[in-house]
Amino acid sequence: MQVVDQGGDKMVLHVGPQHPGSGHFRIVITLDGDYIIDAKPDPGYVHRGAEKMAEYRTYIQNIPHLERPVIIDATGITLPYVLTAEKILDVEPPERAQYIRMIMAELNRIISHLYWLAIYGIFLGHSTMFMWPMGDRELFIDLAESIGGTRVTFSYVVPGGVRNDIPGGFKERALKTFQYFEKRIKEYEEIFFNNPLMQSRTVGIGILKKQNAVKLGITGPNLRASGINSDTRKDEPYCFYNKIRFDIPVYKEGDSYARCMVRLRELQQSMDIIRQVLDRMKPGPIKHVIRGVMRGEPGEAFVRTEAARGTMFYHIVSNGERFPYRVKISVPSFRNLIGMSHLLVGSRLADMPAIYWSLDYWPVEADK
Amino acid sequence: MVTDPTLNLLVGKASDLFANVIEKNVREPIRYLINWGRLYSLWPVHLETACCSIEFGAASGPRHDLERFGMLEAFGSLRQCDILVVQGTVTRKMAPRMKWVYEQMPEPKWVIAMGACAISGGLYVDSYNVLQGVDKIVPVDVYIPGCPPRPETLIQGIIELQNKIRKSKV
Repeated sequence: MQVVDQGGDKMVLHVGPQHPGSGHFRIVITLDGDYIIDAKPDPGYVHRGAEKMAEYRTYIQNIPHLERPVIIDATGITLPYVLTAEKILDVEPPERAQYIRMIMAELNRIISHLYWLAIYGIFLGHSTMFMWPMGDRELFIDLAESIGGTRVTFSYVVPGGVRNDIPGGFKERALKTFQYFEKRIKEYEEIFFNNPLMQSRTVGIGILKKQNAVKLGITGPNLRASGINSDTRKDEPYCFYNKIRFDIPVYKEGDSYARCMVRLRELQQSMDIIRQVLDRMKPGPIKHVIRGVMRGEPGEAFVRTEAARGTMFYHIVSNGERFPYRVKISVPSFRNLIGMSHLLVGSRLADMPAIYWSLDYWPVEADK
Repeated sequence: MVTDPTLNLLVGKASDLFANVIEKNVREPIRYLINWGRLYSLWPVHLETACCSIEFGAASGPRHDLERFGMLEAFGSLRQCDILVVQGTVTRKMAPRMKWVYEQMPEPKWVIAMGACAISGGLYVDSYNVLQGVDKIVPVDVYIPGCPPRPETLIQGIIELQNKIRKSKV
């Protein structure tokens, strides 16, 4: 959308970092009347130097601090790190460990999407939609906690496998939770997604066109909402995603509503993936124990995976020491930030929350 | 007669006695009443500094429900807030903003340092961009350990803060 400068007074508005609709992030908006004519994001409030810290920690010590940037999607960010480190260390994890990693990754995707949905509800002034997903999220946190040991920060995936096996009775509890949650998804649709109030605030708002999405490098659910069938789980399968049958939800519209619907459908997809994985899993070892200090060969490796927000990319350079020489993380949220300033220009100020959080931008992840 | 030194002495004694009576019988109930009023209407500032904010969000959710302990949900306007929950790591860029937020809040105000990073830097103790402990820039009333603290721990910290408010002077 193009806005013609009509002259006259402009207003500059600073949103954040102390603002209910911004989080740890600031955006400077220039307004002409009700329309946004310029949006300059100001990230970096949570820059903690995770990449630099990774250079003076061993491969195993790096896991806890690397999962803090995306604390809601902890496995989503540690799994690609571990896969990359395994290439450097030349370790092959056992089959059962690969399946357990997939379970954790998909559970984390559900947890992350439910948190997003809760906050999106509050952004649109729908308090029920904050309470319901927050409550249902606790059920999935319970499942993940029974495997990983803590509520959100598991440090569960380690080079060579996973820390411990899944507990007995997990399958029954998981299937029971999924059965309950499938009913809830229908209720979510009734109360929120088919709600005319919600639709009037999101349908046709913040349209990200196909070519712009590609040009700006948007990944993950936001890209799929713009009509591009792209998912790293399908395109470059890691773990055993090539043995699992699942569909990728794709919407053509590219507006805020489509981005919401993609995430709602992904909740269902993740549950289907976990069901198939639970059926396919066989008993066996869960960890390839690495004796002594983990010390990789000189060289470099990179891995791309699909986290909850999009493609998570790791590039590790090793010079044969105990510590990695360089760890580069390319996070999906930073691309969403670029997309956000593109989408905000030309929209109304009142649409800002609907556009902002529909991109699922997590400032801590973008700042690293 | 007014300049009589004995009378002055008498007036001084009487005022001491009077103040004592007020101290015991009036000020104490008023102090109790004011503190009781502040106790169960704590309103936190919506300032998220890092990743502990998701556990703060989970604590406001239906399972843990902070509101039943007298802590309202995070709110936008600083001028009506009386508690600042520092939710995790404070970086160099966030630290001056957080101090401004604290200075703009009306008295009385309390600060909770939530998470290991807010207490001492925590996991980021050797990071170049992280403030090693938030008590260097704002006075902290309650420290809640954990990385991140569970919502139950946060609730316990808030009950500790309420105990502190109950005993505080007016």
